[in-house]
Amino acid sequence: MLRFLLARVVTMLFTALCLTLIVFALTNLEPNLEKVAKSEAGSRISDEEVVSWLERNGYGQPTLVRYGEWLGVLPGWQIEQADGSVRGRCIPIGSDPEIAPDFCGVLQGYWGESTVFKQPVSEIISRSLALTGKLMFWVMVVMVPGALLLGVLAGMREGSRTDRSLSAVSILTTATPEYVSGVLLITIFASSAVGLRWFNGSATSAMEDANFVNFTLPVVTIALYGMGYIARMTRASMTEVMTAQYIRTARLKGVKFRNIVLRHALRNALIAPFTVIMLQFPWLLNGVVIVETLFNYKGFGWTLVQAAGNNDIELLLGVSVVSVFVVLVTQLISDIGYVYLNPRIRIS
Amino acid sequence: MTHHSTLKADIHAAARMYAEEEKSGKLSRREFLTRATALGLTAPAAYGLLGLTAPTPAWAQDKPMGGTLRMQMETLALKDPRLFDWSEMGNFARGWLEYLVEYEIDGTLRGMLLDSWEANEDASQFTLNVRQGVTWNNGDPFTADDVIFNITRWCDGTVEGNSMATRMSTLVDPETSQLREGAIEKVDDHTVVLNLSAPDIAIIVSMADYPASIVHPSYDGGDPSDNPIGTGAYLPEENQVGVRQTLVKNEEHSWWGTDVYGGPYLDRIEYIDYGTDPSAIVAAVESEEIDATYQSSGDFIDIFDSLGWEKSEAITASTVTIRFNQDSEPYDNRDVRRALMMAVDNAVILELGYNNLGTVAEDHHVCPIHPEYADIGPVPVDPAQAMELLEGAGYADYEFELISIDDDWQAASCDATAAQLRDAGINVARTVLPGSTFWNDWLKYPFSATEWNMRPLGVQILNLAYRTGASWNETAFSNEEFDSLLDEANGIADAEARSEVMAKLETIMQEEGVTIQPFWRSLYRHYRPGVMGAEMHPTFEHHHYKWAIES
Repeated sequence: MLRFLLARVVTMLFTALCLTLIVFALTNLEPNLEKVAKSEAGSRISDEEVVSWLERNGYGQPTLVRYGEWLGVLPGWQIEQADGSVRGRCIPIGSDPEIAPDFCGVLQGYWGESTVFKQPVSEIISRSLALTGKLMFWVMVVMVPGALLLGVLAGMREGSRTDRSLSAVSILTTATPEYVSGVLLITIFASSAVGLRWFNGSATSAMEDANFVNFTLPVVTIALYGMGYIARMTRASMTEVMTAQYIRTARLKGVKFRNIVLRHALRNALIAPFTVIMLQFPWLLNGVVIVETLFNYKGFGWTLVQAAGNNDIELLLGVSVVSVFVVLVTQLISDIGYVYLNPRIRIS
Repeated sequence: MTHHSTLKADIHAAARMYAEEEKSGKLSRREFLTRATALGLTAPAAYGLLGLTAPTPAWAQDKPMGGTLRMQMETLALKDPRLFDWSEMGNFARGWLEYLVEYEIDGTLRGMLLDSWEANEDASQFTLNVRQGVTWNNGDPFTADDVIFNITRWCDGTVEGNSMATRMSTLVDPETSQLREGAIEKVDDHTVVLNLSAPDIAIIVSMADYPASIVHPSYDGGDPSDNPIGTGAYLPEENQVGVRQTLVKNEEHSWWGTDVYGGPYLDRIEYIDYGTDPSAIVAAVESEEIDATYQSSGDFIDIFDSLGWEKSEAITASTVTIRFNQDSEPYDNRDVRRALMMAVDNAVILELGYNNLGTVAEDHHVCPIHPEYADIGPVPVDPAQAMELLEGAGYADYEFELISIDDDWQAASCDATAAQLRDAGINVARTVLPGSTFWNDWLKYPFSATEWNMRPLGVQILNLAYRTGASWNETAFSNEEFDSLLDEANGIADAEARSEVMAKLETIMQEEGVTIQPFWRSLYRHYRPGVMGAEMHPTFEHHHYKWAIES
């Protein structure tokens, strides 16, 4: 078990390393750096000024060296200015260069500054993660029970009318991407075009004070998409269990159908959906990007869009690391949880 | 009432002349008021010259105290005020950083931190009377030294992106790009004299522009909300770029304006960012998350009307320029620029791009409401000749790329332009960039559209955007004759005389094909019934102390 965990953690670190290196390389391409220089030092500056600005702000070294600085395995750059004072990556403006640390990177807990928001990356990410966490929590609360119920009901009697209609619904919701269902939901339930106006088509106020009116549509938009998929998986697993020998035996013994489903079939049928639910997390991150932008909810997905759109290098890297972490940790949990649900499987 | 104290017995001769011009119809009332008040007349005196009574301002008793007003606005990161390049930055900072003078919706100027001002005969010397009894919110008194400190900062042309230096050019020493020796004299603690190097009629108006926020002498050049020392009635509470910015009434500070102009009424003002997509703003309105829009545009004006919100309209010289950057090939070729200009009918762009919510313009960026406007007629629309010009220049098969922001009306205006160019047989590709990326390079795009806010005088915009090397010169236009004519125009206080020079300037703009400038916009804002004093302003200024809301 420990070895397994260790292997997983190593994979996780390695993946994070590879991904950030790729993101770092892409955001540090020549034209992107030029864009950074221009947005920081004024859009009118000449090409020579761009070069000198980049030089003065530590962008002049090879990409790999700067990646090392960002990681915190190489000492941060220091440049002596014309007036004799020393500026550097690890020297906050106005502080004494003597007492500044040599290394300042992710390993030291320093995530850098966002160029768009003019705030420390760690602050922005924790703020946006908290908001997205809130959204995810309610999505799970709606999606998981809903999907299991749909799946179990459909899978109880394979081929029945209930099965067919519920399956059709779940295929439809899974086949509809968020950017379609979100717009449809806003039009139907939030705009005066249809006139229902039950809910809000904007979730900005939900950042502070989420309630039924302002949070329903974003939650439902994400939940619907994931719900169909989990329901399909649950249904498949349920139908398989319902044809197993021990279920037939129970029926022959005269156990009530209700009890067969609840007592005998359900636990075994839920093993597969558990993995699927855990694997849904990365997918949800995906949907969050669209839904948060659509509903103007300033969480993690919205931050990612802003960071990418503005070539905000350090923010984008921070977002990538957190994403890798979320994806791999949920997979790890799903693997471990699987063992506990299904004793036939051994990790090592 | 102290604000009448500046009524002077001797009224500036030029003001009397303007009044004659207004009466004979050469000057609109708005222009008259702007110009007369710029010469130091108070609004009531200016109205008096026309034989009218100034409209009485709404006083405290009609407006309810307290409450929170939530307005949709892009919340941008603040920087040194003289570097502000967006009205939004100024509008948030206005909560605590005030201005020397204020440009009113009716086109007049009135003193804020200045009590009054007078110009000499040829508008080359201005006497500024600093308002008495103003204090900073840290307790320091506001004096002539603070005014001099700020004007000195504005004049520092060595600071990259300081657009105030261009506005204050008659106070700047061109050798050092700093305040000229002797340009400012301190007469006493509340009187300052400005000695201009050349007559400049726009200097007082420029002090109302949004980068002209008055900062405390201890200000160090960073984000002004970090240590918000100002004279204003509000304080910043929250400053989350891209999310929300809030102002709260500063209860510790007794604001000078309460006795003079009334207000402030609101306890709290929240600016909430909904990006640039207008449909997100509609969703916000329908969700009752905001009380007022920053600006309503295009098709969305009708939508907001239909939601039962009140519409406020401001007639302006705001516009969009679909301009060429003459540093980039093929726009360094005058024939190419002329051809593209001739191939489009501005009336069509106004209709398709802006729902006819404005008036057709003539490609020279001087508006009929500017006092010095000269009617030289539009550039003729002639697609056939346009094609000939392009063929002559060797660019008949060239694919032009027209870039615009994803903002509704600007994108639509560019689409209408591109469609007309295609009708004329010219290859055009359209690129639409999101607002977050567009502005990174707005000065550099070879062929793109830029939104321009109005300036009260025609010469102001030409000084800012088309003079050689001006900080917002996005066309890279550089023309010696134009620059010298512009210098000449800047010194002519008489509108009629200036308009003769302006006719030449306008002709150069058209003949050099500097920009397609299709129409003048009216600006609109919507707010829910119960919001008071937050009418749309021609230069987007938010006068927070006038705002109120019925709970």
